[in-house]
Amino acid sequence: MVSDHPAVEVDGLHVSYGSTPVLVDVALVVPAGTGVCVTGENGIGKSTLLRCVSSLQEPDAGEIRVFGGSPGGTPEFWRAVVTTVEPPTWYPGLTVREHAELVCRAHGQDPDEAGIDEALDRLGLAGHADAIPPQLSSGQKQRLTLTCALLRPSSLLILDEPEQRLDREGRAEVAGLLAEYLRDGGSLLMASHDDVFAAASGAAITTMESLSAVPR
Amino acid sequence: MTTVPLVPVRRWISRRQSAHRERGATAGNIYFAVLFLAVVGGMVHRQLAVVFWPTHPNASGLAAAGLVPVLFGLLYLALRRFGPLALSRPAASWLLPAPVSRRRLLLPSLRLTAIVAALTGTLLGLAIVGHAAPRTLGGETIALLGTGAGLAGVGLLLVALAAQAGGRWGDRLDALVSLLLAAGLAGLIADATTDEPLAAGGWPTATTLVPLVGAVALVVGSFFALAVRGLARTPNERILDAAKTAGTLFDSAFGMEPSFLTDMIERRYWARRKLRSVRFPARLPVLVGQDLLLVLRRRSRVLWLLLAAGLPVLLASAPHALIGIAVLIGALLAAGIPAGNVKTDAGNPVLLRLLGLSSRQAMLQRIWVPGVLAALWSTAALTVLSVLGDLPAGPWWALGITLGPVGAVAAVRRARVGFVRNELLPLDTPMGTVSTGPLVNAVIGPDALLLGLPALIEIAQGHPLSWLTVLVQAVVGGVGARAYLAGTTDPDRVVLNNR
Repeated sequence: MVSDHPAVEVDGLHVSYGSTPVLVDVALVVPAGTGVCVTGENGIGKSTLLRCVSSLQEPDAGEIRVFGGSPGGTPEFWRAVVTTVEPPTWYPGLTVREHAELVCRAHGQDPDEAGIDEALDRLGLAGHADAIPPQLSSGQKQRLTLTCALLRPSSLLILDEPEQRLDREGRAEVAGLLAEYLRDGGSLLMASHDDVFAAASGAAITTMESLSAVPR
Repeated sequence: MTTVPLVPVRRWISRRQSAHRERGATAGNIYFAVLFLAVVGGMVHRQLAVVFWPTHPNASGLAAAGLVPVLFGLLYLALRRFGPLALSRPAASWLLPAPVSRRRLLLPSLRLTAIVAALTGTLLGLAIVGHAAPRTLGGETIALLGTGAGLAGVGLLLVALAAQAGGRWGDRLDALVSLLLAAGLAGLIADATTDEPLAAGGWPTATTLVPLVGAVALVVGSFFALAVRGLARTPNERILDAAKTAGTLFDSAFGMEPSFLTDMIERRYWARRKLRSVRFPARLPVLVGQDLLLVLRRRSRVLWLLLAAGLPVLLASAPHALIGIAVLIGALLAAGIPAGNVKTDAGNPVLLRLLGLSSRQAMLQRIWVPGVLAALWSTAALTVLSVLGDLPAGPWWALGITLGPVGAVAAVRRARVGFVRNELLPLDTPMGTVSTGPLVNAVIGPDALLLGLPALIEIAQGHPLSWLTVLVQAVVGGVGARAYLAGTTDPDRVVLNNR
């Protein structure tokens, strides 16, 4: 992935579910090394946009480029991009800490240097390192998903409402981690309902309406 | 707390439910069930006779003694797994929290389970008597023995009931029953390898049995009465668990989707385990390390499989092709111990995307541990058979090792199969319509065992094994595994999409 291209370029994106248009001529640019947070009411198409950028959904029309290339299901794409737009699953018989270590080791990181224990501690999971993920609460599962997403190396994070199910301290902590991610040169595209959280994470806030060329 | 009488509530529910059914639907269902049993019974009555009452007794004392813990142990473990006290899911949601008499709510379930346990116990007892007892035994004695076995079935139900309501001792008792079952299997294997004389004498007469069975009936009856009195004390969460099991069982049966049940059992297993995080082995590829960790955490399964390596010996007197099939199926089951990881990835590729590995890399790593397990199991099974003289001379251990890739491909293919495809066209047969989805689904996975055909033919023919056959099997297995990986994975794709 070459970083002299914008992280995400979307142009003329159209998606409809049946006869209901959800995205009409949507355009968006996320310059590399910056963050963009898309806001808007339920059902306006934030998740659909993120799914299209993550190559998990085929748009009806339009062009999407991620770091200058077309998004796809290749290992190279998924080594650069992390997304949380899908509900997570967990491996059987693997603890919280082991999930984090598995992700780090799959990316060739030394588990001792990757800072697994610090990351679990920062997101309040240190006391649950030996639990299996299905035993965690929904908020804790969200924390684990974000821990794994932030621990592994990546160039672009695509997060769908990362503040969801988190308490106030959790939101502040995650916003801080996202701001660090941007400072270290990463790019961020997320959808959120919490403007305070979005601002704290350092992402530029834009409304879904402003992305569409056709007023709705 | 005031208690609302339950009978009117149940009658009201059943009247509302029957309002949605066609007139005479229940009678029609009973008619079809009876007709079905009569037709199937008529078709397989000869096979049933062989199972329950062969023309001549054919089991030794050791075999009969082995069958008792095996069959009754299985009955007990089945009762434990399904409750034994359960409610339907709607009753668990709506009637369990309602102010109705707990005992009356649970009594029908207990009654039904007791009838099933008694019938099963009687059938098991009669089968054991039919195989071991001389045909001179009087009808009265046989009836008394059957009654005793039925009472033993109810007795086991009462123990399972107490374990359901009780504490940790239930788990320890389950382990003990599993051990007894294993001992029984060992007895059966020992019987198959030695020439034990048929069990002839030593059967009690009716006069000694009458007071004995009477006493057992008294004890079981009084404990049953105590159980009914204490029924209300069964903890709610145990009943809810059993209700979920019963519901999932019905879902599996009606949807013809066995994975509902197996997934639930798997989830419950891990929810009860207390784990401690460990470091992955640094030298191994990461997914191999993960599979290994899963196998180490399921040590009891590995132990069971090692014990089961002796089971093909029981088929020594059957056609040798059956031994070959048993060895191949065993290899599939052994390789399936860490299959939960592949199943997770096949069901939802979220984690594979997070790991950033290609489907080729992932499967290449995921096939190793199953391969080693299948090779170990086949080697153990074939070595046991060859040492006991049930196979002709030859390097059977080497043939076992070559079956590793065969079992691994079959297990991995099975784990990737996903849900039953019920949209497949049904087949019209003279016996009625057969839906093909479940059939196709059941075959995917085991079909890859065809890669073990050279070994199967060699075992079936009964000729001494040559190194050439071992080589042929090694090549077929290796090439087959390679072709499977090349055909179903892609170095440029992450998801394990095999559709």
